[in-house]
Amino acid sequence: MTEHQQFLAERDKIDFFIQKGFRIQSVNEHLDGATVEFVHPNGDVTEVLLISNANARKYFSSLLIKQNPIGK
Amino acid sequence: MADLRINLAGIKSPNPFWLASAPPTNSGYQVQRAFEAGWGGAVWKTLGDPILNTSSRFAAISFNGQRVAGFNNIELITDRPLDVNLKEIYETKKKFPNHAIVASLMVEPKQEKWHEIVKRVEDVGVDGLELNFGCPHGMAERGMGSASGQVPALVEKQTLWVKEVAKTPVIVKLTPNITDITATAEAACNGGADAISMINTINSLMGVDLDTWNTIPHVAGKGAHGGYCGPAVKPIALNMVAECARHSQINVPISGIGGISNWRDAVEFMLMGATGVQICTAAMHHGFRIVEDMIEGLNHYLDGKGIAAVSDIIGKSVPKYSDWGNLDLNYNIVAKINTDVCINCNKCYIACEDTSHQCIEMLSDASGKNYLRVWEEDCVGCNLCAIVCPVDGAIEMIEVPNEMPPMTWNERQAVINAVITSKVDTTK
Repeated sequence: MTEHQQFLAERDKIDFFIQKGFRIQSVNEHLDGATVEFVHPNGDVTEVLLISNANARKYFSSLLIKQNPIGK
Repeated sequence: MADLRINLAGIKSPNPFWLASAPPTNSGYQVQRAFEAGWGGAVWKTLGDPILNTSSRFAAISFNGQRVAGFNNIELITDRPLDVNLKEIYETKKKFPNHAIVASLMVEPKQEKWHEIVKRVEDVGVDGLELNFGCPHGMAERGMGSASGQVPALVEKQTLWVKEVAKTPVIVKLTPNITDITATAEAACNGGADAISMINTINSLMGVDLDTWNTIPHVAGKGAHGGYCGPAVKPIALNMVAECARHSQINVPISGIGGISNWRDAVEFMLMGATGVQICTAAMHHGFRIVEDMIEGLNHYLDGKGIAAVSDIIGKSVPKYSDWGNLDLNYNIVAKINTDVCINCNKCYIACEDTSHQCIEMLSDASGKNYLRVWEEDCVGCNLCAIVCPVDGAIEMIEVPNEMPPMTWNERQAVINAVITSKVDTTK
């Protein structure tokens, strides 16, 4: 799988939860990339993704800024 | 014709091109010839207790046919008595009253030594002083030059001593042989410097002779580190000028030095905050008359841009220089190969395949002719293919629109840290 295909695959997983109304609840960065925790607004469902691709990590970060424009 | 005059902390000159303190400014004969050729100013070869030099002093690196890509010297400050130099400075200033003559000075880090030389030098009518805290060889072993210039407290103290008696503007010349040049630049400002200049030369050993195993250069079979300068050091010098120019606590004019070889280099230094430039290696390589091309080129550049005075460009690029953390992570460029111009040498393919991101592919068209194609999705915009390409216009780096808004590393970390510490409000 090329880097770009890996990006598309991880972006699709992120978009899947975002389109269902999930929001990013927490981000834990580590040696293998970032573990991103999503939570549904009703608060009773959480999902976790391991995002390792660099462009995908930029992608969820941009969504997080869009979601909570801290520091802007 | 644009107005090329500059005013560096009160030191005025007819153009921004000064000869740096070095062999070209060793004597009145040389400086007068330089002024006749068109140089706007000269920083006299460093005055102090006259020294003794070695024979065999210079060495240069030629790279792929370019002579003097880098230059190295182990020559020390003036070996002539102070009164001889002062007499020639006086005569030169009398002949060229509108040109800038700055005296470079270096003495032991003692208050009375600085007071003595400042008074004697100013008596002959110099336009300013430049304190040499940068010379990396010989003098540094005696506690002067870069040995002083690497210690911020010594820079500040000696600048203060000079300012106690100086009547003309004081420029502090900084060494690049230090981790963070803004530390010593700030110390110079704290000591009352009217301006700073940078860079002096970089510690260097030019090479080792493979037959004799002697250093290059060597003195009777022994070598010592020298000071490196010339075109190869320009990026290092330009960064140091820019770092000082954008520093909030460094608010004095900058005289830019380091590998400036033509008017284009001079413009780059001025855009990055230098009020004027000092040049040595290019003059040593090509002679004083290179200043004619510099003046003509600078005039054409300014006229072409409709800029009336060279002083109008000072610092214009400084706001564009920042920390890596402020760069937009969502900005994307990709390589585009112009197959009409490409000569199929495959340099880009090999560079990308072996050492970058494997996004250039060799293909054949219907007639069996080879061509190269970039997989834009995998191209990270590193520029390597365009850098190694031997044909102008064969590879362009083009911007790719990004649907995501600009995002810097600092902005990203701020929002991620906020999530980690307080959990983002998911109900918004």
